[in-house]
Amino acid sequence: MTRRSAFVAVCLLFVAALSSEVSADGLVNEDVKRTVDLSTHLAKITAEIVLSNHGQSSVQSFILAVDADLAPHMAYIGASVKGDEEEHGTLELQQTSIQGQRGEFYKVLLPSTLAAGAQLKVKTEMMFSHVLKPFPTQITQAERQLVVFQGNHYLYSPYPTRSQTTRVRLASKTVESYTKLGNPSKTDEIIEYGPFRDVAPFSEDALKIHYENNTPFLTITSITRTIEVSHWGNIAVEETIDLRHTGAILKGPFSRYDYQRQSDSGISSVKSFKTILPASAQDVYYRDEIGNISTSHLQVLDDSVEVEVRPRFPLFGGWKTHYIIGYNLPSYEYLYTLGEQYALKMRLVDHVYDDQVIDYMTVKIILPEGAKNIHVDTPYKIDRMPNQLHYTYLDTFGRPVLVATKNNLVEQHIQDFVVHYTFNKILMLQEPLLVVGAFYILFFTTRGIAIWPAEVRMKVASITEQVLTLVNRRLGLYRHMDEVVNRYKQSRDTGALNSGRKTLEADHRTLTSEISSLQARLKTEGSDLAEKVGEIQKLDGQVKELVCRSCSEAERLVGGKVKKETYIESEKSLTSRRQELISRIDSLLDAL
Amino acid sequence: MVTAGLIHYILNLLHVTVHIRDVCVFLAPVFSGLTAISTFLLTRELWNQGAGLLAACFIAIVPGYISRSVAGSFDNEGIAIFALQFTYYLWVSASPPPLPGYSLPIFLSCIILLLVNFFPFILFLVSAWGGYVFIINLIPLHVFALLLMQRYSRRVYIGVFALLQAYAFLQYLKDRLTRQEFQTLFFLGISLAACIVFLTVIYLTYTGLSTSPSLHRCRSTSRPRGCPSSLISTSWSAPSQQAFGFASRTSMMNACLAGKVRKHVSEQEKAEEGLGPNIKSIVTMLMLMLLMMFAVHCTWVTSNAYSSPSVVLASYNHDGTRNILDDFREAYYWLRQNTDEHARVMSWWDYGYQIAGMANRTTLVDNNTWNNSHIALVGKAMSSNESAAYEIMRSLDVDYVLIIFGGVIGYSGDDINKFLWMVRIAEGEHPKDIRESDYFTPQGEFRVDKAGSPTLLNCLMYKMSYYRFGEMQLDFRTPPGFDRTRNAEIGNKDIKFKHLEEAFTSEHWLVRIYKVKKLENREALDHKLRSVVSRQKYTSKKVSVFPLRRDGFSCSLSFMMLSTTYSKTPQKIKTALNSRERKETSNNQ
Repeated sequence: MTRRSAFVAVCLLFVAALSSEVSADGLVNEDVKRTVDLSTHLAKITAEIVLSNHGQSSVQSFILAVDADLAPHMAYIGASVKGDEEEHGTLELQQTSIQGQRGEFYKVLLPSTLAAGAQLKVKTEMMFSHVLKPFPTQITQAERQLVVFQGNHYLYSPYPTRSQTTRVRLASKTVESYTKLGNPSKTDEIIEYGPFRDVAPFSEDALKIHYENNTPFLTITSITRTIEVSHWGNIAVEETIDLRHTGAILKGPFSRYDYQRQSDSGISSVKSFKTILPASAQDVYYRDEIGNISTSHLQVLDDSVEVEVRPRFPLFGGWKTHYIIGYNLPSYEYLYTLGEQYALKMRLVDHVYDDQVIDYMTVKIILPEGAKNIHVDTPYKIDRMPNQLHYTYLDTFGRPVLVATKNNLVEQHIQDFVVHYTFNKILMLQEPLLVVGAFYILFFTTRGIAIWPAEVRMKVASITEQVLTLVNRRLGLYRHMDEVVNRYKQSRDTGALNSGRKTLEADHRTLTSEISSLQARLKTEGSDLAEKVGEIQKLDGQVKELVCRSCSEAERLVGGKVKKETYIESEKSLTSRRQELISRIDSLLDAL
Repeated sequence: MVTAGLIHYILNLLHVTVHIRDVCVFLAPVFSGLTAISTFLLTRELWNQGAGLLAACFIAIVPGYISRSVAGSFDNEGIAIFALQFTYYLWVSASPPPLPGYSLPIFLSCIILLLVNFFPFILFLVSAWGGYVFIINLIPLHVFALLLMQRYSRRVYIGVFALLQAYAFLQYLKDRLTRQEFQTLFFLGISLAACIVFLTVIYLTYTGLSTSPSLHRCRSTSRPRGCPSSLISTSWSAPSQQAFGFASRTSMMNACLAGKVRKHVSEQEKAEEGLGPNIKSIVTMLMLMLLMMFAVHCTWVTSNAYSSPSVVLASYNHDGTRNILDDFREAYYWLRQNTDEHARVMSWWDYGYQIAGMANRTTLVDNNTWNNSHIALVGKAMSSNESAAYEIMRSLDVDYVLIIFGGVIGYSGDDINKFLWMVRIAEGEHPKDIRESDYFTPQGEFRVDKAGSPTLLNCLMYKMSYYRFGEMQLDFRTPPGFDRTRNAEIGNKDIKFKHLEEAFTSEHWLVRIYKVKKLENREALDHKLRSVVSRQKYTSKKVSVFPLRRDGFSCSLSFMMLSTTYSKTPQKIKTALNSRERKETSNNQ
């Protein structure tokens, strides 16, 4: 390996010698202090560079280079000026390319021009994910996790470097092997390379370190972050997370006994981690497809809410899990408004665990129904997808959903985005009015249905009541007539009988006509009781006839036209028939 | 299911975005509310409003019904009981009034009532619940009783006859048409009938023909009802009592009766003026006490027996804090996440639905397996020794075996306690291979300790349950390997597996999952083995004996070869071996 890398170095030197000693800009890296931090599952490479302008003219920018082998894994790159007064100004980066050279290049725009002969202190930071390869790729539960890092001894730069050192920070003291360029010194977890003097531009020399690293190799393979804004004062955030242990894959059995009894068993596995939520987070839930995950704890601190996320089972190498975490935020902290203008300022991606790596992220921002003129400002480039529509409770034409995706994110990406939109405040009333309207319609239709028969029923009831009293009064007339007849039989006063009969006739006529009119009214109300009343009337006619006949019979008795026995006989049959008719009337009345 | 789907569809159509799961969870509680209302209506029809209220109260606390209507019990009975009560109510309200003399509106209203309300409800009931036979049989019984009591009327005729005609017609259509056509026609017909009825009602209302008052009259309470309550209750209670014998579900129906009877008793008391106020109050007190005790009993039964989840176990510490043992979901979720999507899991049938639902994996047998020989085969695998079981598992294509083991926490419903059933069922199908007596001691005991029968101590279930349990000391008073469920020190502490491998054990050892190893080193490589070894002159001959197979022998050979070249620690050699293999594959690619 060393032989090969030496060969590469020679080649590179040869190439470098061909090109000019000083680049076109005339920039030179005077002093470089590189730190390669491999203590987690990420590789953080920072460099403090003293840049001096040896050219003729002043420069506006310089080029930052990323090694070709590492470039595909780069999650983040940033540069800042390190002033004398400890002021860190983040610089703007533009991707560019240099012909004939491998790797990625970024043009860093300086805040002020660097005059010829002047010096500047710059700090650069790069984050690489998935560059620490587990080796061996499979381990048993009892084994420790070893990883290999392959990088560059030198700062990869288009400028010549006068002097540089590289310090590598590891996760543990145990190191299997490391490249020994320039006889590096190793103390505990730190390996120091250099100083290397006068390194040519684009120098590469393979750095390889094989060491023990039991830090959690957790990767979020995909996360969907949904932010739902409500103008009623709430912002609901929900994150659906797919998590995988991307360290060395567990080989052979998983023994719970060993895991419980031996503290170093499954040392590289992940039992739990902490997620930090915003301080105002409320109603936090943590669940998956089969319900609430009961093994979590929530701690409310002054400046944050900490969730101890414990997956249902410990995550060993190659194991994965899936969960949903969600919470509510008050909108006054994140939603700004001026008239009809609204601005939502929130984190595009939030903390899940320390040193997080997100392979693929989808952000969905659900704005209120009726939001228009939507404009998004993102802190870094993300891929916007076409807007969608989301329908939830009481929506009629859907809420606009902004969708964006991005690959390979790390902690440095926890930054704010801003969404500007306009929203007519009147639209806030739409949903309450919808509910009110629906209830209004419901109420009146049911009330209409309920009232209609009730009114009819009441009317019918009052009419039948009247019918009842009238019929009873009419029956009373007959009883009165009976009395008159009896009195007549004793007094034999024909005048009294006749007058009694006359009044009966008159009263009976008025009552009958009244009942008939009521019957007609019942008929117009559409009640079937009218028929019954008609029946009563018919029966009553028969009763009346009988009464009249008993009356005439009595006259004939008094006149001596019939014998007493015959009269009693006929009277008996008449009363029994009358009784029968009256009982039928009574039963009909009861049925009314 | 169709009901839940329909509700979900309608709600989502209105943009009430309820998850189908929530619909399913809350379906039974919502319908139980409707049941209470229909119980009230039914009892009011039979007696009066007070009795109706009391009956509704009864049905609200009857444990038998609560067990079927707790949130999450998504069963056909949740809907069926409501459909049953409501069908009865509709039947009763459509039953004949006391006197003859019908006019057209009554006639119409009968048809409307029976065809629109009753008939679809019967269909609804039939589709929802197998217990519809109660209704189907009770209604003819009632009609027959009506005939015997000389209460025959045109309404009964119309009701039953129209129903029968319609049903016969449907049957006829069913025979003539394909299923698809029939369904389309059926729904078309139903919607058409609904439309016609709706329009008729509107027309009648509009023209002032009396439909609704008569409809109303049928249900009025202040008048004596057409069908006397005593008749309904007698024609009702006998079959329901019969049903009570084998299924408690009809106890709900009795709640209605109970409400009626109680009310009846109290009214009788009122009628008997001769009783002193003391006796009256004592009886009232007793009644109230009974009712109160009944309510307390119902609450207790409901909370303890019917609505406690069986998947999440909870225990309480001395200080009252609660410990949740979520082992089942832990293991099921592990299966769901970390096994192949098409992995087949063998377990006793009790866990079939849970595995299918929570782990989303294929099971061999589940709670609805009717094939006894299938269950017996699983039982046989569990009760055989490892190599015999491996043959069965290979033939069944089993990837994982899941068992429940309660020995660590003292959970008594585990597989060792169910084991004799597995043996018995296996014996039923395979009497030559499995004999129940082999699993007992000569004294006829089922023991897991040293005195247990050797067949038991070496069978697969025993080994899987107690694998590595012999090393585990739960507390200082008991020896290692002390089973808390059976209060015995296990008899076989030296358990080794040849064909299985522990894949997962949950935190409290409640669920243990074993992986069934594939046959070792017999499969050809998917790429040609590069002749790495042949470069080394002194081993080339030996290795070339097996040029295409990487089995144990050639591996060990290459290992030996490597150990001669690298005189380093074994760890190093392994790494070297790994890196060599890696290179090989990368070269091949």
